[in-house]
Amino acid sequence: MRDVAIVSFAQSTPGLTDVEETETQLLFPVINEALDGIGITRKDIGFTCSASCDYLAGAPFAFVQTLEATGAWPPISESHVEMDGAWALYEAWVRLQHGDVDVALAFSSGICSRADISEVLAIELDPYYLAPLWLDPLSLGRLQAEAVGQEPPTEQPKYTDAAAAVILAAGDRARELVGRPAWISGIDHRTDAHYPGVRDLSKSASARIAGEQAGVDKAPVDVAYVSAQYPHEALILMDALGLKHVFGLATNPLMVSGLIQIGTAADAVIKGDASRSVGHATAGPCLQQNLVAVMES
Amino acid sequence: MSEPVQFVSQKVDLDYKVVTSPVARRFAELMRAGRITGHKCPVCGRVYVPPKGFCPLDAVITDESNEVEVRDAGTLTSFTVITPIQYQGQEEKEEYVLANILLDGASGTVGQQRVEGIPHKDVRMGMRVKAVWGGDADEGSRGWGLTGAIKHWEPSGEPDEPREKYQDHVL
Repeated sequence: MRDVAIVSFAQSTPGLTDVEETETQLLFPVINEALDGIGITRKDIGFTCSASCDYLAGAPFAFVQTLEATGAWPPISESHVEMDGAWALYEAWVRLQHGDVDVALAFSSGICSRADISEVLAIELDPYYLAPLWLDPLSLGRLQAEAVGQEPPTEQPKYTDAAAAVILAAGDRARELVGRPAWISGIDHRTDAHYPGVRDLSKSASARIAGEQAGVDKAPVDVAYVSAQYPHEALILMDALGLKHVFGLATNPLMVSGLIQIGTAADAVIKGDASRSVGHATAGPCLQQNLVAVMES
Repeated sequence: MSEPVQFVSQKVDLDYKVVTSPVARRFAELMRAGRITGHKCPVCGRVYVPPKGFCPLDAVITDESNEVEVRDAGTLTSFTVITPIQYQGQEEKEEYVLANILLDGASGTVGQQRVEGIPHKDVRMGMRVKAVWGGDADEGSRGWGLTGAIKHWEPSGEPDEPREKYQDHVL
């Protein structure tokens, strides 16, 4: 495996809502900040992967617009995932393993304040068994809370608008760019069955396997940031990852949350606040999909 | 025993709020005042109409200080004669022309522009056109198009442009 590190991270002001700018305009200064922080330009990026959801924008191919924030001329090597930005980071990490490019950009955006996100997510469930039940995230959250014997949540945490960008670099290039690169010592993502009825909702098998594969338990963890919308999700994740203490976000930026967690965990290593950190992202109903990244100095 | 279920009808609708960005809002205000404006990139000098608030080629953020006015006249670079199918809600009954127009002073075309005042068989690439104002202007929507302040375009009577002048803007 090629040594790959996170060397820069930037995000929009936490807790934004009712953003008036276009998604591209929201991303522009965030990508600028991630680049400026380590003194490189868009021309230094060898691969770009973006993440967003057209159902948030309510327009087909909405994600194509956000590429305009990358200065994609002459044409660049890029890709898109319809997932949280953490999965864009994963694809960028895989791309750097190919060995022919040394710097990659993963970015993510989501403007949640233009639709009823609970409705959007209910419709994204499987169309035969779940969507007709109109299972919104709060209903699913309540089911899972009961499964772990916790008080069911009564309110859906408000979805917020956000953008984030992470820059990855390989080997010596990472050492050139920053004094303390946050080396990704392990990264893995796993998925549980889509139908909650066949899962033991009191546990997260996919988070446990992803954590094992990423090597969370190989050495002490100084700080961990996990994507948990509700307190019971944090408990399930702590159990799955074998962590005694985790941090989360006070806000709920769909599509960006996981990338922010991993970026924040990486920042702790880059800034010297931690030697070993963990970042986690999730997607799907009741923590169905989980991605875990371990960063080391 | 009842018949097995073969079809399930699911009627789904999602409501979205369309938000006009400040850049699009200003563009729409100026359109309603009869002025077509764009942003000129301080690096490459390209003029974007409508303005985006950045140059996507140079990745530079632009604002009102980069605003320039372009003419309400230009060159038709490509067009389609559309035969409307009479689906429910269709308001068009007759064939009509939509065109891409390269405005004088702009670096790219505006699309979906209605062309009137000329037999359809005579519409051609390179034809010079001018705006007929007085349309039903909207708030700028998502920043697409020209807000409807221009009703349509018609031939200006100037000589056609040679192909070299517009060939890079043909779709």
